[in-house]
Amino acid sequence: MMDLRLLGFAFKRVPASAFTERMLPWTRVGFAVSLVTGLLVFYSQPVRYYHNVFFRIKVLALILAGLNVWLFHSRIHRRVSQWDLNPVPPRAARVAGVVSIFAWALVVVTGRMIAYNWFDCDLQPQPDFVNWLAGCVVEAGVE
Amino acid sequence: MGKVLLPFFEWCESTVIASTIQNSLWLFPVIEAVHLLGLCLLGGSILLVDLRLMGFGLTHQSISELNRQVRPWLLVAVTVMIATGVPLFLSEAIKCYYNRAFWVKITTLPLALAFTFLVRNRIARADSKVAYINAATGAISVVLWFVVAAAGRWIGFS
Repeated sequence: MMDLRLLGFAFKRVPASAFTERMLPWTRVGFAVSLVTGLLVFYSQPVRYYHNVFFRIKVLALILAGLNVWLFHSRIHRRVSQWDLNPVPPRAARVAGVVSIFAWALVVVTGRMIAYNWFDCDLQPQPDFVNWLAGCVVEAGVE
Repeated sequence: MGKVLLPFFEWCESTVIASTIQNSLWLFPVIEAVHLLGLCLLGGSILLVDLRLMGFGLTHQSISELNRQVRPWLLVAVTVMIATGVPLFLSEAIKCYYNRAFWVKITTLPLALAFTFLVRNRIARADSKVAYINAATGAISVVLWFVVAAAGRWIGFS
């Protein structure tokens, strides 16, 4: 919802800082819960997840999301008082909003796709590209 | 009830939509992915107002104003959920019939929708000063939608 505000699509009469100050704490709680439970899930089958293509992409997407959050808060958000009441925020904020939606959507989708075994290492033969992406150890003569 | 219901579910799974999805490797995951993204939008829309009702979040806005601004997004989210949810159901209707989590979800969902659009909407528009009525409304909404979401996820653990 905050990203929609940053894009100027929704809540245009709500100051942008209201979202960052009043809603973000809840977002952080949600993220903390996801992180803790996610680590537990990973711990249950670490090798399987480590070699999962979708898991790897998900981690990259998480890094992208985190980078975007850090850049947003250390740069354009520093000057939020200048654009707080603008129905449509400046471009840097809008870019942050788009990247955020894209990155987190990727996290959600790839997270779901981890359950699919399409590119699993133990389902050889796989294309070389997939084996490289998943870090599969394929020995000659072993099925 | 079973005599009427099971044949209906069998018919559901015999539809063209159902067989198209079943015969495709990627259709179900794609539709389900959109279902999940819609869930993100639904969750955000619902929680924004529920938190406000319970006295948290965007407290500088009136409840009615926040409710009004969220409404179009809530409607989009519900539409997406139903539009993707129906095909997902059709493609595995029989499995759903025998799945307890499915029944929890499919009975709680109309409850959650009715509560949101008939009760919560009215209370939000009233901007009541009585905190406990607002807070109770928000809490009930959170519980109802959480049950729907959790039961939905549990269908997959069959």
